[in-house]
Amino acid sequence: MTSPSTVLTTGDPGHGVAEHNPVAGLAHDTRGGISNPILGMLLFICSEVMFFSGLFAAYFNVRATSSPWPPVVANDPVLTEHFNLHAEPFYALGLTIILVLSSFTCQFAVWGIRRGDRTGLIRNISVTLVLGIVFLLGQAYDYSTIGFGLADGTFGTTFYTLTGFHGAHVFGGVIMLSVILYRSLAGQFSAQHHDAVEAASLYWHFVDVVWIALFSTLYIL
Amino acid sequence: MATTALTPAASAYRSGLYEWLTTTDHKKIGILYVVNSFIFFFLGGILALGIRTELALPGVQFVDGEVYNQLFTMHGTTMIFLFIIPMLVGFGNYVVPLQIGAPDMAFPRINALSFWMLPLGGILLFLGFATGGAASAGWTSYAPLSEDRALGSVGSGQDLWIMGLTLIGTSSILGGINFLVTIFKMRAPGLTMFRMPILVWTVLVTSILQVMATPVLTSALIMLFIDRNYGGHFFDPSNGGIAILWQNVFWFYSHPAVYIMVLPAMGMISEILPVFSRKPLFGYKAFVFATAGIGALGFSVWAHHMFTTGLVFLPFFSLMTFLIAVPTGVKMFNWVFTLWRGKLTFSTPLLFALGFLSMFLLGGINGAFSAAVPVDFALQDTYWVVAHLHYVLFGGSVFGVFAGVYYWFPKMTGRMLNESLGKLQFVMIFIGFNLTFFPMHQLGLAGMPRRIADYAANAGWNDLNLAASIGGFVIAASMIPFLWNVFISLRNGKIAGDDPWQANTLEWATSSPPPPYNFDHLPEIRSERPLFDLRHGRTGH
Amino acid sequence: MSSSPRTRPSSGSILVGIVAVAVVGAAATWVVLNGSQILQSFFPPEPKTVQGHAIHDLYDIVFAIAAVIFFLVEGLIVWSVIRYRRKPGDDELPPQTHGHNLAEVIWTVIPTIIVFFLFFVSWQTLNNVEARSPKPDLLVKAVAGQFQWSFQYLPAEAPPDAKPLFTVSIPVGADGGLTLPAGKTTHLYLSSPDVIHAFYVPQFLFKRDVIPGVVNQFDLTLDASDAGQTFRGQCAELCGIGHRVMLFEVHALAPDAFDAWYQGKLKEAAATPTPVPSGAANGPKLDLVAQNVKFDKSALSAPANTAFTIHFDNRDAGTAHDVDILDAGGTKVFDGKDFPGPAAQDYGVGALPAGSYKFECSIHPTLMFGTLTVQ
Repeated sequence: MTSPSTVLTTGDPGHGVAEHNPVAGLAHDTRGGISNPILGMLLFICSEVMFFSGLFAAYFNVRATSSPWPPVVANDPVLTEHFNLHAEPFYALGLTIILVLSSFTCQFAVWGIRRGDRTGLIRNISVTLVLGIVFLLGQAYDYSTIGFGLADGTFGTTFYTLTGFHGAHVFGGVIMLSVILYRSLAGQFSAQHHDAVEAASLYWHFVDVVWIALFSTLYIL
Repeated sequence: MATTALTPAASAYRSGLYEWLTTTDHKKIGILYVVNSFIFFFLGGILALGIRTELALPGVQFVDGEVYNQLFTMHGTTMIFLFIIPMLVGFGNYVVPLQIGAPDMAFPRINALSFWMLPLGGILLFLGFATGGAASAGWTSYAPLSEDRALGSVGSGQDLWIMGLTLIGTSSILGGINFLVTIFKMRAPGLTMFRMPILVWTVLVTSILQVMATPVLTSALIMLFIDRNYGGHFFDPSNGGIAILWQNVFWFYSHPAVYIMVLPAMGMISEILPVFSRKPLFGYKAFVFATAGIGALGFSVWAHHMFTTGLVFLPFFSLMTFLIAVPTGVKMFNWVFTLWRGKLTFSTPLLFALGFLSMFLLGGINGAFSAAVPVDFALQDTYWVVAHLHYVLFGGSVFGVFAGVYYWFPKMTGRMLNESLGKLQFVMIFIGFNLTFFPMHQLGLAGMPRRIADYAANAGWNDLNLAASIGGFVIAASMIPFLWNVFISLRNGKIAGDDPWQANTLEWATSSPPPPYNFDHLPEIRSERPLFDLRHGRTGH
Repeated sequence: MSSSPRTRPSSGSILVGIVAVAVVGAAATWVVLNGSQILQSFFPPEPKTVQGHAIHDLYDIVFAIAAVIFFLVEGLIVWSVIRYRRKPGDDELPPQTHGHNLAEVIWTVIPTIIVFFLFFVSWQTLNNVEARSPKPDLLVKAVAGQFQWSFQYLPAEAPPDAKPLFTVSIPVGADGGLTLPAGKTTHLYLSSPDVIHAFYVPQFLFKRDVIPGVVNQFDLTLDASDAGQTFRGQCAELCGIGHRVMLFEVHALAPDAFDAWYQGKLKEAAATPTPVPSGAANGPKLDLVAQNVKFDKSALSAPANTAFTIHFDNRDAGTAHDVDILDAGGTKVFDGKDFPGPAAQDYGVGALPAGSYKFECSIHPTLMFGTLTVQ
């Protein structure tokens, strides 16, 4: 067999693959379609959806077998009142708006870099980052004033577990966006090469969608 | 014997300890997985010997109560999460990129990370033994017992168990993502999905299960940790929690997990049977659909572990459990008809593959009894279930693993394993395995429950327990020829060459061991047996 | 090119072969000699309840189908291994059959039919087993705790949390256990104050989990022929360090014997309790605590030939304990009455001759015991 190896990718002009450097071009599959890192991120998001499904399933199971819901705590009308999130959803609604806005700005950043607009990328990622941090601070403030804790019955447990893990995922997203911002400032992204920005934005949208589901479930339903 | 000459650059990379600790090469990582998994196999085996030693005779001789509960909890946990799942991932890691003609996995550094999380997770799990007691609520860790610090899980081991498993689960999820991207995106030209080796298909379905099911376990572990340490009430009925919520969330993962534990072994068997029968796998496409069917159906049966709770919708789960026997049966028949009218060479890999077929058959059949709900009322939580799970996981997966070891050891090391020692191990382990686990059918029928440190001397269970304990030590003894075989073959085994078995798939089209970048040249790929085609002139070159 | 296969088995292989044949031969001989006993071991015990009979019949059906499939497929494997061995030197390829669509259809459709049949048959049986009698003859609540069973006999049609007519705290033995009328239907409630347990009687072919926060219920209809028999039962769901000792017995009595026993129990419960004899006012006082199903001491000592008092503090909420003293020959020389915690009682023990005695909780004798030295 004298035909050259057909497994190595050869068609990536930006990288100059050489036959004596066989592992170059690994991540860049030139057969088209979705890129490896983005496919990886999508699968990761699938796994995260399943994680939250477990928590939501627990919440719905607990809620379906508890009557009334929110629970009425005998001898503690103050706590019972605090459990009534339906009465005061506005603060959480504010947080929701912040997060949805941040998804928009994140998407603007992606559209920007797809056009090669590095400035637009940096600006929009910065705004997204700031909005994300504001969300986290807002969530922390909410915890401090909400009037019940994790150990306050199943209501407290499910509330803090669901929102807490969502907050942890927002925090992870904030870290991710910080890295993207750093790399953007260092000029590492171009119209042809910005997989990381796409991947991070997919993750950020996912975090937003989970919050919308959470908000609807905890404050509205 | 064709050999591929390594380019000079290939042999120049360091093979020392530093290389092993920092490698991102899927082949080295695969070997790390396999070695690490064998270490935990032996640790888990020692725990099993502890169990069988205590149960050999009625009366408490060595361990009781809390310690015995730790033994079987850690035995199950170790075997499932630190042995069988990562062992199969390790083989997948080594073989899959080679079989699809890729130079490595899609994310080599994440691959390394996934591996190193395992010894760390294992250390966390076993640390319990040194800090007041390992986890002792069973590998299934049912709440509220797993939340009970007084009479249940007495040491800090249960919390270490939760942390260790969370780490190991993360390793699983990352590995699954890695395999999926690799298989979908990095196949060599000509290697369409329906030309992939069955091992690649089984790893693909397994990876989907890992990505979709494992996070649900993570959520369960986190809820348990919150209940235990932060005053949570998820599973605490005295505060509005639900005791069987744990079981539902846990089994939603742990049932697909059993397919994670067996599908890649089935894939390995599906590679080995055709090679040693000298004919193709019978019904390749049916195989693919059966594997996909098992993966999908596997998500719908979890509550068959909960029939005796009285709290699940019995007819649905019973029906789905019966149905999953159909694709499994399809595979069984396809394997048998691969042998049929073939020309069988009884090398050790084939012996273990035949062992898999006959023992997994038994395990599948005795599982069907439990699918009939009223029969499960008699058999659940007895030694019948212990028999069932060991026939499918030991008679199935472990035999599959050993088949894979004897088959791919030459590719990984360049040396053949000694055939006589291999056959000796096979006979010993086959006898030992059946001696240990067959009597457990009778013990379960006679009423011996699981997870008891001792039994009444007048219950009529003495002889069978003694037989099972002797069998356990025979299994242990069978590891001696195996380890000796590995030791002498590494130093002095017959040189294997590229393709010692006259095999069918791409990994045999390169040197043994392969160069870091895997292939200098790839044969043309026009079927699921590219090497067979090359050898027999099908491709026209 | 691969290595050529051996044309002659090595001496190692021959030895292994001989050993294998010897072992299999020995096993086969033993099987033949113990034939019917072995055959019986493949089946569950002879059932003792109506529900158990239904389950046994279902098992027989599943077993028959399973046996046929097992021998068929295993036979194919063994046949292939014998018949299709590659002859040494034969390098020709066998026919390269890739598959057969009709075969795939057959071995998909037929197993599907079989499993649907099994499903329907088992569903029918399930409905029989789960059927509830509208008017059971007896109502009992079995309470499973860590680590004992107790049985509360309830008035007819009472809810699970009703006050029992009387309670049997000792799970095994002539004075304890779950006593039921043979030939009649008992409705059982299952209740646990702590973790998950399981009510399992092998000879009923039946178990049901006992889940805290939930009351499981089912009917047991003992066969009339069970009268006078005792069946062993055991907790079948891991419940902690004392899981293996959670045994109980089911005593089946003929209907009139049962009525007599039942009336006797009612009288016992209604009678004013005999005062616990207190020891001599200035006699020695021993302290003993029960906590987490353990005594706090494994050794006690008392002076010979002097009445003494055991101040027994039961700190296990909801769990009954007691203190019995047995002499070296196993005879009970003191029988303390059990009571649930948290509570404390003084047991007045009469004078004992010098010697070594065993003290134990009669409900948890294997978990709670120690040595009483009298000298």
